Amino acid sequence: MAYVVTDNCADCRFTQCAAVCPVQCFHFDETMVYIDPDNCIDCAGCVDACPVGAIDDEFNLGDDQRHWIEINRQRAPLLPRLTAIMEPLPGAEARKAALGL
Amino acid sequence: MIVAKVGNHVKSVRGNADHPFTKGRLCVKVNNYQDRVNNPDRILYPLRRSGPKGSGEFQRIGWDEAITEIATRWKNIVATSGPQAILPYSYLGTQGILNGLSVGDAFFNKLGASISERTFCDSGACTAYTMTIGHTAGVDPESFVHSRYIVLWACNTLSTNSHHWPFIEEARKRGAKIVVIDPFRTRTARLADLHVPIRPGTDGALALGIIHVLFRDGLVDADYVARYTIGADELAERAAEYTPEVVAEITGLSPELIVELATGIATSQPSVIRIGVAIERQSGGGQAVRAISCIPALVGSWRKPGGGLLQLPLWAFPVNWGTFLRPDFIGPNPRVINQWKLGEVLTGEMPLDPPIRSLMVYNANPMAMSPEQARIARGLLREDLFTVVSEHFLTDTARYADIVLPATTQVEQEDIMFSWGHFYLSYNNRAIPPMGEAVPNTELFRRLAKAMGFDDPCFSRTDEEQIAEAMLWDAPQLQGITLERLKRDGFARLNLPPADEYAPHAEGNFATPSGKCEFKASMAADGNFVLGLFRQGYDGQQSGEPVDALPHFIAPQESPTTNPELAARFPLSLITPKNHAFLSSSFGNLPHQRRHAGMEQPVILHPADAAKYGITAGDRVRIHNDRGAFKALAQVTEDIREGVVVAPVGYWASLSEGGASVHAVTSSRYADMGCAPTFSDNLVAVERC
Repeated sequence: MAYVVTDNCADCRFTQCAAVCPVQCFHFDETMVYIDPDNCIDCAGCVDACPVGAIDDEFNLGDDQRHWIEINRQRAPLLPRLTAIMEPLPGAEARKAALGL
Repeated sequence: MIVAKVGNHVKSVRGNADHPFTKGRLCVKVNNYQDRVNNPDRILYPLRRSGPKGSGEFQRIGWDEAITEIATRWKNIVATSGPQAILPYSYLGTQGILNGLSVGDAFFNKLGASISERTFCDSGACTAYTMTIGHTAGVDPESFVHSRYIVLWACNTLSTNSHHWPFIEEARKRGAKIVVIDPFRTRTARLADLHVPIRPGTDGALALGIIHVLFRDGLVDADYVARYTIGADELAERAAEYTPEVVAEITGLSPELIVELATGIATSQPSVIRIGVAIERQSGGGQAVRAISCIPALVGSWRKPGGGLLQLPLWAFPVNWGTFLRPDFIGPNPRVINQWKLGEVLTGEMPLDPPIRSLMVYNANPMAMSPEQARIARGLLREDLFTVVSEHFLTDTARYADIVLPATTQVEQEDIMFSWGHFYLSYNNRAIPPMGEAVPNTELFRRLAKAMGFDDPCFSRTDEEQIAEAMLWDAPQLQGITLERLKRDGFARLNLPPADEYAPHAEGNFATPSGKCEFKASMAADGNFVLGLFRQGYDGQQSGEPVDALPHFIAPQESPTTNPELAARFPLSLITPKNHAFLSSSFGNLPHQRRHAGMEQPVILHPADAAKYGITAGDRVRIHNDRGAFKALAQVTEDIREGVVVAPVGYWASLSEGGASVHAVTSSRYADMGCAPTFSDNLVAVERC
């Protein structure tokens, strides 16, 4: 069981999560990050660190968000590991504002 | 932990980003602590049993009524059978110097009740560690960033000590190698550079094999050994028989791997060994820790920060234990009862005069966490046993109580805390008033003492007064730390050298009788013992069984090689690690943690064993031996050795199919030292239901 990155991360990719994750279980592609559920230790450190509220316990996800569990599980093992904070994507701040955050 | 509240309602909790060790993270066990506090199943009022014992049927009563009934029953027992017919049973389900380990000790010592010997956690390792290097905090967990070779031995860091991991990961970035020694490929082992899948109960042999190679291959730091240790020649002679080939046969590892470990520990300096509680839970657990504790001195790793051994940072904290334990209240002929023996104590199978007529349980849940579960249940069903339980929930144990008393959670009480895992003294500020009629343990014992007519001033001290007396404030480790600062900040690092400089045994200075690391232990002459801290401050009447002054390997009592007759009926070795999402059995009833742990008790088997017994993943299976049985869902994976099965503890019997859990099959037999349990030394059979 694990925490899950959802659509708020897309096109933001602020990656503050990388600074708090004790087991480096985040992986990234060109639009967002994903949690490897086999390595996540359920510490929840990333939940508060994420500036756009993209991360939650999989048990808290609503029906419209539950598909992200499988997306994280599928994508993370295929992608490079996020080992340090990266520059947010261009337009991240605008997207954050658009999300009302 | 920082508590967010609205009025007196706890909304959420989070870590403290300013804390240098936890860095703003909690863990899966307490991330939703508000759900424990606000849980509709909380016991908020005193209860009296209204149905048959164990039925869980209770009626609400008032505090005065409850206290009066307890005091009346106890005074009657004292008058007719003597106070030793009363037994306290407690440990650390509630944490804190005030409300935790010792909260009832002064009261029960004054009463003259049977002394509760609590060897639940690290007692065997403490005895062995004390004999070898003495009461020392060992390596600062934060110094691990400087370690070059890190051995996590019987320790699943990511599940039970996750805040330590970033320091280990930082060491890896700086070039360290991480080794995990564990029969099970835990989530920690998966992230290590090397996993050593040892056969359960054989760690002592591995340690002696490493020592053998150190001497054989000239890997010993001769200068350190000459200056700061005693007994090296005898140890070398003892280790001579533990060749890599012999040890490989015992441990199920390859001779090459044993040599690799010895070479790594010796040549990648500073090297460090972190031992977990599991290390002691085998028949030879004490001598295994003796052998392991010798290794850092043999290779001189204590010379530098980040080198040596880490067991319990507890020893760094100058706690004023005496003010809580009050051993001076103990009469001339006390009776000590070890808590692992609760089943036979209550059933009368252990002859006791007087027999136990009343049991008081607080900070503990023996029906979930103590061995021989069915026997404990039989004892708790005795109509003539008066059982009092102070609790948050109607646990597997509380269900059998005659009186249940409501206890506060950590956020409803004030306390001061030492740490098992870092060098920071912590302050537990009260966030909200007690819910319902719940009281802190301190208040519970103030009320009981008053009802029993105890007038010593210690029984009327307020929490504030107890906190003021909780520490030896003049000790060097506390210089610069004031209560005011502690209360404001929540934590303060002990006044010890910074982690980058802390090397407490660079020049010996071990807290042993000789001041040296004692490979040959002088304290062994007095035989086996349990530290007074685990026995309400009482040091007398120690079991005193002979202890070999030199480390040696004691084989498991239940294994296919040592007990083939038993193994013919029960062919699989069971290990019972702590659950990732529970804290022993605490949180085993909460939905959030159960979802993370898996709603039902799992048992993990190797594919070859699963095939042999016709089991496939997802099957409901029965795990049993002559002591009892419990049911579980089978998981099949090569992460566990063939011949070994894994069943994490903490699930509640009352919430499990069949009304039993893991400790239905475990033994109350002791390990060789400190009355540690032998939960990794149990043969079972597994069959499809």
